[in-house]
Amino acid sequence: MTTVQAPAPTPVAAPGATRPIFDWLLVLAVLGVIGAGIRIVLFTPFEAKQGAAQKIYYIHVPAALSTYFALTVAACMSIVYRWLHDERADRLAESAGEVALLFATVVLTTGPIWGKPIWGAWWTWDARLTLTLFLWFVTAAYLVLRGAVDDHAMRARYSAVLAILATLLIPFIHLSVYLFRTLHPMPIVLKPERPSLPAEMLTTFLLSVGAFAFFAAALMRARYRLALLREQAEAA
Amino acid sequence: MPDTSAYYHAAYVLAGVLYGGYVLSLWWRARRWRK
Repeated sequence: MTTVQAPAPTPVAAPGATRPIFDWLLVLAVLGVIGAGIRIVLFTPFEAKQGAAQKIYYIHVPAALSTYFALTVAACMSIVYRWLHDERADRLAESAGEVALLFATVVLTTGPIWGKPIWGAWWTWDARLTLTLFLWFVTAAYLVLRGAVDDHAMRARYSAVLAILATLLIPFIHLSVYLFRTLHPMPIVLKPERPSLPAEMLTTFLLSVGAFAFFAAALMRARYRLALLREQAEAA
Repeated sequence: MPDTSAYYHAAYVLAGVLYGGYVLSLWWRARRWRK
């Protein structure tokens, strides 16, 4: 008697799982950041009172704005997930949360390096700094929570709530310099009146904000593709 | 003008290390999952 063996099932890749993690968008974003860096270093004047340390502004503030951007994406995608239960939204929220933590880390490390020569202290427990540190902890907790819960639906549901709550901190952080007496300077661009930066510096700052936001978006896409790859590997 | 260039350089190097490290971690994790 001859037996016919059924062919082994062909593994089916999740849609998009075979796409490369690094592609033209990330290369373009890195080139954008390098371009902004060249303008900051070579074509932007030094500020008279602070000297070279003032140029930390061009990476510190864009990193803060990119943190807000990534966290807002995470919160919006969390709302979409809670509403539609779309796995793609949960995946993008996770990716944006990780990128937000990266940018928040840059904010919290470049800030003290700038503060030391200007304020004479690495750190002060004023409202802006403390709230930003708190945001970092909540974002880190978001990622820890995602790693700690095995059940997929429960993980997505709990972490969605945390991402939305973390994002609610953003307006408080931005307004903290108005609400409390702080050592941190007031906004010089993002304020109701005209920006107080000279035109050359303002152009550099806006270019840097654009380059960093684009870089954050490209990193979120790369991280999203990594999540697809992980799901494919776990399913195999 | 005060000489604060050491802080300026330190901040830029640190930011580069953090961003570069993250991109490297993406590459490393992708490599691990592909295996």
